[in-house]
Amino acid sequence: MSPALLIALRFLGARKRAMLMSLTGIVFGVAFFVITQAQTAGFEAYFIKTILGVNGMVRVEERIQSSRSLAASEGSAFAIAVEGSVKYIPGIQFPNKVIEALHGFPEVAAASPVIRGNALLLANFREYDSKPYGIDLASFLAVSNLEQSIVNGRLRDFAGNPYGLIVGARIARRLNLQIGDSVLLDGAGEPQRFRIEAFFETGIDQVDRERIYLHLPAIRTLLNRPTGVSFLQINLVDPALAPALAPRIQEAVGHSTMAWQDREKTWLQVFSVLRVSSALTISTIIFISGLGMFNTLVMIVVDKTREIAILRSMGYTRADIGRVFMFQGGIVVALGVIIGCAAAAAGTFTLSKIPIRIRGIFASDHFVVLWDPWHYVAAALIATVVVLVASYFPARRAARLEPGAIIRGSSS
Amino acid sequence: MSLLRVEDLHRHLGEGDNRVHALRGVAFSIEPGRTYAIAGHSGSGKSTLLYLLGLLDVPDAGKIWIGDQETSRLDEEARTAIRNARMGFVFQFHFLLKEFTALENVMLPMRKLGKLSETEMRAKAAGLLDSVGLADKGRRLGNQLSGGEQQRVAIARALANDPALILADEPTGNLDQANADRVFALLRDLAHTRGQALLMVSHNPELARRCDHVLHMRDGMIVQPRN
Repeated sequence: MSPALLIALRFLGARKRAMLMSLTGIVFGVAFFVITQAQTAGFEAYFIKTILGVNGMVRVEERIQSSRSLAASEGSAFAIAVEGSVKYIPGIQFPNKVIEALHGFPEVAAASPVIRGNALLLANFREYDSKPYGIDLASFLAVSNLEQSIVNGRLRDFAGNPYGLIVGARIARRLNLQIGDSVLLDGAGEPQRFRIEAFFETGIDQVDRERIYLHLPAIRTLLNRPTGVSFLQINLVDPALAPALAPRIQEAVGHSTMAWQDREKTWLQVFSVLRVSSALTISTIIFISGLGMFNTLVMIVVDKTREIAILRSMGYTRADIGRVFMFQGGIVVALGVIIGCAAAAAGTFTLSKIPIRIRGIFASDHFVVLWDPWHYVAAALIATVVVLVASYFPARRAARLEPGAIIRGSSS
Repeated sequence: MSLLRVEDLHRHLGEGDNRVHALRGVAFSIEPGRTYAIAGHSGSGKSTLLYLLGLLDVPDAGKIWIGDQETSRLDEEARTAIRNARMGFVFQFHFLLKEFTALENVMLPMRKLGKLSETEMRAKAAGLLDSVGLADKGRRLGNQLSGGEQQRVAIARALANDPALILADEPTGNLDQANADRVFALLRDLAHTRGQALLMVSHNPELARRCDHVLHMRDGMIVQPRN
């Protein structure tokens, strides 16, 4: 063990109470930092998982028709440039061709055609505005978590019934629907009969209270839409690729394409702001602990002035003396980080077991946490930087003491 | 070759109107195995001289030779290394580190020098404590020892790296007569038996007379004693 470290360890006991207060502050700061990050990042990750499961990573929708110039007459050389004038024509007329084009992108894992519309749901003598989604079940399961969202009924019953429905859980509650009920859907003036095969719950309020899934051929009849689809829902091999890939797909297929990060920008920003603001708030605990550490070390330097002088007289260099005080900060922050991280892990685990019913943007019956080692690294880094900076100034002051002047002052 | 040689040493202290010419051309030399006392009134420059010789301060002019090495213009790192390897200090106050036992206090200079193993350092420190009559008190913390015992631990600490030169600034100034006699006798005997030189600043003329040589200082200069 280096002499400076040995002396630092012994000097730590010089101001036990103040040191313990600083240590406690660092422990709490690190623990709270990690717990709040685990919680906010956990909810964010769960939201993303939910939203990707419901609406996919990328959506290809309207066809883009660019009109760059308006000619005065056909064949005329005179034309007015209309920069940026773009027409969006709803839907995808030739979905199979677009899907074929998507096969050229290795990042695309799966794509599924969807027809979206509006229909009146007639059941139990009540009418309800709903949004039917016509899907190709096999491919849709590859781009959604519909299978995991089923809360009642069976998916295979839906698969086996061309006029089967999967209904949002909130619609079911409002209309008091049961599995096996026969209901009418009126999409284009001609009500059609369907059988309820399952209920789903995503936790996203808007989806659960208006969406109904039915088979693609059935919705074509219901909405009187024999060709084309409303959009293609796409899953990628990595969700993070979506923002870079979406413009390339748009360029290739000539349809507007939106990544989930753009589609959910508002919520993602809310989570991001929450995470940063909680990190800043909790970091103040660490900063205050750093101030406490600074004060404690300054007091120790004042207390130990003569000891520093005698150490210098016996051959300890200014750097050695500086190290004695930097080591003290280092020991306290190392202990604080170790205990704080252990407390954080225990606190995060406990938090994840606390029951809480959340519905609205996702469905959860307990706190959602994210176990991310980077939260621990970030907390440790913040604590280390704060405490070492706080230790540096007392250390420098100690190193600058002139032993001759101190000893002479003590002797007179 | 002299152990320590000083040539035309000058030192000013203070700033502006308070600037004082504390040492005015001091010159002398010290031989191994001898004891020296620097005597003089307060303000005569005794302590200033001692701290310059101990490389804790830098002269404005003049040269300090330790063996064959001229030290007055060395950088701080080099002067600190010389202090660690070749000098031992005993001050009026013992300045023991109270968080360390007597044995550990004696080991502190050895730890810095880094030439011995932990076991060797412990054995040597125990031997030094034995030589100052504190063989059975090595495990006591500094504040669990009497004033005289603490000063003897400080002497053992000063001898830890077998320094060629022991510099003592009023080493008995804080002790009663019995302890003062004992500490001085110890320093003198150790210097004689171990071949080390002792240079001691003291107000006590009786102690000064018991040294092999007495350097009288007045107004920053070494002078002949008045009869």
